[in-house]
Amino acid sequence: MSIMSYNGGAAIAMKGKNCVAIASDLRFGIQAQTVGMDFEKVFPMSDRLYLGLTGLATDVQTVVQKLAFQLKLYELRENRPISPKTFLSVVSNVLYEKRFGPYFIEPVIAGLDPKTSEPFIASCDLIGCPMEPEDFVVTGTCAVQMYGMCEALWQPDMEPDQLFECVSQALLNSVDRDAGSGWGAVVHIVEADKVTTRRLKARMD
Amino acid sequence: MTERYSFSLTTFSPTGKLVQIEYALNAVTTGSPSVGIKAQNGVVMATEKKQKSILYDEQSIHKVEPITDKIGIVYSGMGPDYRVLLTRARKIAQSYFLQYQESIPTAQLVHRIASVMQEYTQSGGVRPFGVSLLICGWDNDRPYLFQCDPSGAYFAWKATALGKNHLNGKSFLEKRYNEDLELEDAVHTAILTLKESFEGVMTEDNIEIGIANEEGFHRLSPSEVKDYLASIA
Amino acid sequence: MAMADIYQNNYMSMAPTERRFEPYAFNGGNILAVAGEDFAIVASDTRLSQGFMIHSRDHPKAVQLSSSTVLAQSGFEGDITTLKKHVKIRIDMYEHNHGKKASTSAIASMISKMLYYKRFFPYYVYNIVAGLDDVGKGCVFSYDPVGSYEREQYRAAGAANELLQPLLDNQIGHKNMEGDFLPLSKEKALQLCIDCFISAAERDITTGDCVFLHVIDKDGIATKEFPLRRD
Repeated sequence: MSIMSYNGGAAIAMKGKNCVAIASDLRFGIQAQTVGMDFEKVFPMSDRLYLGLTGLATDVQTVVQKLAFQLKLYELRENRPISPKTFLSVVSNVLYEKRFGPYFIEPVIAGLDPKTSEPFIASCDLIGCPMEPEDFVVTGTCAVQMYGMCEALWQPDMEPDQLFECVSQALLNSVDRDAGSGWGAVVHIVEADKVTTRRLKARMD
Repeated sequence: MTERYSFSLTTFSPTGKLVQIEYALNAVTTGSPSVGIKAQNGVVMATEKKQKSILYDEQSIHKVEPITDKIGIVYSGMGPDYRVLLTRARKIAQSYFLQYQESIPTAQLVHRIASVMQEYTQSGGVRPFGVSLLICGWDNDRPYLFQCDPSGAYFAWKATALGKNHLNGKSFLEKRYNEDLELEDAVHTAILTLKESFEGVMTEDNIEIGIANEEGFHRLSPSEVKDYLASIA
Repeated sequence: MAMADIYQNNYMSMAPTERRFEPYAFNGGNILAVAGEDFAIVASDTRLSQGFMIHSRDHPKAVQLSSSTVLAQSGFEGDITTLKKHVKIRIDMYEHNHGKKASTSAIASMISKMLYYKRFFPYYVYNIVAGLDDVGKGCVFSYDPVGSYEREQYRAAGAANELLQPLLDNQIGHKNMEGDFLPLSKEKALQLCIDCFISAAERDITTGDCVFLHVIDKDGIATKEFPLRRD
């Protein structure tokens, strides 16, 4: 069994009109056994910047701490908030540093540019190859399922509440077809003037 | 053998001064003059580049140099020391770009070069740099102008002069400077400031000018400099 | 004799030459079936591929077995051909022996047995049988390669089944939705099948070219085609 699917989990980010959504499931498992149902995989990095990480849980926590450290250094040194694009570059570098002994995680990034409020989403593979599509990014043990859902449900210029419905349906129906993820979900809708965080009730099996 | 000299040459005098740094500043003030002026829509820097013989090729080696697309640098003081800092500055800019995929902000670059210069006042086996730097750039939709001294101290200026006769240069700038200067006027003022102490005839071959604006940083070509000189005379 | 063989069999080399029989290939593609109240729809793409090679852009994966039954298959084309051939023969035999048309559920049961008969050298084939049952209701039967089967309302199988099944859960099964829902209309089911294949063609390289639809109702079986991306 792959180390990437040892703990299970799923995360997704989507672009809308002047907003972005990022969501994850809540399961923490050890192979087929579920040991936790409150393991969020989306982390607020700064005001309007969120990071979703799936993969080996221990690496998820390590990488989040490393990135939080890098981010705080940057913000203190430059006395300004980081732009999501720049943060992607930091993530990519942190991961590529361990090119030959990688962290077993795959990140997604969602945020608004601190200056222009331009929506931004991106993802990386485990050794830091970045990708910036204009619609959605997915990662986790049910990435394939999420691709199927997003490809059918996503449309350009969704309003925040539409985007919430879209990302929620995409995530929930995907995790329901994956034994490695599920057990509830958390969704963040990021807008220029506010961030809305909601917990979703889901199948618990 | 080398470890016998691996203590810092810059040590405190009983009065609390670091005289090595003062000597380095003397090297700067005897060096050929440079000026920098911030305008509303850009920033200009100019320097004197007089050669000792007519046999020199004036257009092969430059004092005004680009560090990134948006940042330029010039100096007063010792040429060879400047080349070392120039190379370091370019490396710092490139490694910043490699990490963040964005151009280094001028303030960040100045901070990091200043750290290098400070390190040379405290490390073993080295001496302070015999140069003061003028660094100009355009980012955040506005111009920046900094001076970096051998001690590692750095200053943000609206306009300043370095090197020989810098005090005269500064008082000239104080009279001429105003907040809503246009870049074209700033170039003229910079040339006039140099002219204050210039001995002999000023030509496109014995001064260098660099400007940074929205489009980035570039060194003016001799023919451009010639045009500016003609419009002054 | 190829150059490599000459080198491998010379007297200096004592290393044994390994030869291997690879009985299976994977020829990609996707199949999908949806059952409505009085109809069933079978959709399949028309691409036949192996690895990065496209063998055909015009090769439907579904075949009509009777006036009210369609079989869709994906997996290894060699096994598909063989199994299909035998299934057709067995249906003909059934009609001769029993003097009546084989019902969809009878065909479904038979295919299960034929698959299990090869339990220890299975057909590498994912099958879906769809049609109308004995009382004229739409039905879908889905299988694993060794004959386990069940009747369902909808099923996606083949290379992109993971992409499509959650979407069907949501859009037909109304999973993770609240409220009352209208029964599935033929038009909605048809459009959904096409949308599914457009999505699958977007992300699965073995799916594309064309989607071929069989619509089974009391009037018989109608077919439709809809173009997909060809890259």
